[in-house]
Amino acid sequence: MGLQNLQWGIIHVSDKQPSRDEPTTVDVFASKIEPKLANTLVRHLCQIAPLEDLRHVKRVRKTSVGGKIELSVILCTVIDCENHEDMPSGVLEIVSTYQLRPYLTNVSKFAASSREEWEEQCKLWPTSYHPQTQIIDGITEFSEEDSQLIFNHMNIVIGLTKMRCLGNQVVNAAIIMDPVTQQIIASGTDQTCSLLADGKQCNWELTHCSRQAEISFEFNHALGCSGDLFPEGSCSESIENTGSYNHVSCLNPWSWMEQKAHAQNSIMVDNGSTTKWHPLGHATLVAIENAASRDRRLYPVEQLETSIARVPVKRQKTQNSDDEEEHTPEAVTNGLTPEATRPYLCTGYDIYIAWEPCTMCAMALVHQRIRRIFYAFPNPNAGALNSIHRLQGEKSLNHHYSVFRILLDEKNS
Amino acid sequence: MDPKISEDSSSEIMFMELALDHAKEAMSRLEVPVGCVIVEDGKVIASGSNRTNETRNATRHAEMEATDILLKQWQNSGLTQSEVSEKFSNCVLYVTCEPCIMCAAALLFLGIRAVYYGCANDKFGGCGLILSLHESNSKQASSSAVGQGKNFKCTGGIVASEAISLLRSFYEQGNPNGIYSHNDLLH
Repeated sequence: MGLQNLQWGIIHVSDKQPSRDEPTTVDVFASKIEPKLANTLVRHLCQIAPLEDLRHVKRVRKTSVGGKIELSVILCTVIDCENHEDMPSGVLEIVSTYQLRPYLTNVSKFAASSREEWEEQCKLWPTSYHPQTQIIDGITEFSEEDSQLIFNHMNIVIGLTKMRCLGNQVVNAAIIMDPVTQQIIASGTDQTCSLLADGKQCNWELTHCSRQAEISFEFNHALGCSGDLFPEGSCSESIENTGSYNHVSCLNPWSWMEQKAHAQNSIMVDNGSTTKWHPLGHATLVAIENAASRDRRLYPVEQLETSIARVPVKRQKTQNSDDEEEHTPEAVTNGLTPEATRPYLCTGYDIYIAWEPCTMCAMALVHQRIRRIFYAFPNPNAGALNSIHRLQGEKSLNHHYSVFRILLDEKNS
Repeated sequence: MDPKISEDSSSEIMFMELALDHAKEAMSRLEVPVGCVIVEDGKVIASGSNRTNETRNATRHAEMEATDILLKQWQNSGLTQSEVSEKFSNCVLYVTCEPCIMCAAALLFLGIRAVYYGCANDKFGGCGLILSLHESNSKQASSSAVGQGKNFKCTGGIVASEAISLLRSFYEQGNPNGIYSHNDLLH
């Protein structure tokens, strides 16, 4: 079965609520003007009072009253001033020079996302609408080739959610990708229960999948990972109806507390040492730590660089000995200095997650500066990108990522 | 809803001053100066401060550092998950700055009993300013897992001025690595 047989789709998860309670318009001062003054006035106003957040709004409105053309121009937004005596001095000057009569009106706050919405907006004040070259948060729509790669990556993640050591139980899984090099930077699966934290099979499956992924990039449209790709049953719709999603940490952030004593004991025996479960070991946080640990390994802190801030030597040693095969740092093989290539956190990277992340994970991705998030299944219990909260729309945060949901056609799986 | 402003009882001030010591220690390591202590039965059982620069993991906030110390300790002494959960439900956290949205959610998942913080976090605050996660649990009450429905009590404004002046002097000195902009620094 090839991926091309599956009908997948990518939808942008907006940073704005579809049903907006917040005002959808902005108050502005406008004035009728003599048509012959239009060029001069618009040029001046664009300098003195640019409409920064209203790029979709046209400065001038043309109306036809009884066959006579009338022009109105936006002077400034009301945010800048309480009443029209408080308008920026340059604007006041224009008002008095040309004897304008400012009046209060409103314009659409957001660019239209559909032709219908645009037509509605223009009843208030004309706006521009670009259906062909619509920009999604600064990232253009996906080409056929990009979509195929995105589906491949999500396929790898779906493969990781199915832990053979857990029977038909599934967990959340994530991979962090560098979209430029198509390289998997890090991956993670839920580690909230001791059963999940153990299991060589799971790790084996990961390396197996990654290797398959590299091959598939070479053969372009090949499948990301062999074997059963999809969790049993319909994951997207009937999460509550089946017991097999109990271990998906972002869906059930308190399920770590319910761990059965006997399960824990068996792990203690197997390992002979401590267990590795962590109540906050959600796939996303695990992937972030793996990405950070890779960064520390590939770009060790220079001796001369602020010695107090450097990673203790003991810590570096343990990490290196854990990964014997990856001893050659990329920076050296590329002939570049570590400073030149060292990324800042996960800037520019994408993360693929099976389930919509919870609030903790979604905020962690803000902190770690992820560029884009792709998820497959909504999280009605605790989802923070659409279901319960919408962190990508919290304006006060210092970083904003773009969010996409990947629709899987499960009939073919 | 705004968190309750504390009347600064003497033990609260004492624990917050310990948290401030850890914040200062973070500052000396060129980290964002936020520190915390975790208190059980009136005794400090763990402490932590920011390690985001050192670890290159921007999630390593003071709260995460301190709770990880306890987890490791309790796991090593063989506690089961339900015993660990029981332990956390007796713990109170004192942190110099309002927990961010991530940490507030994490503390909710751990089932901590109460949080006292110094200054508010007007960019990322998870306990009132941006989101009120500490009292959001009623939404999830329908699913029946153990521990759900436990919100934590949250009190802000304890020795806030000192926490603010620490953060302010950190911004003013700037970041030696030149990675962060001033806006990024708030915990």
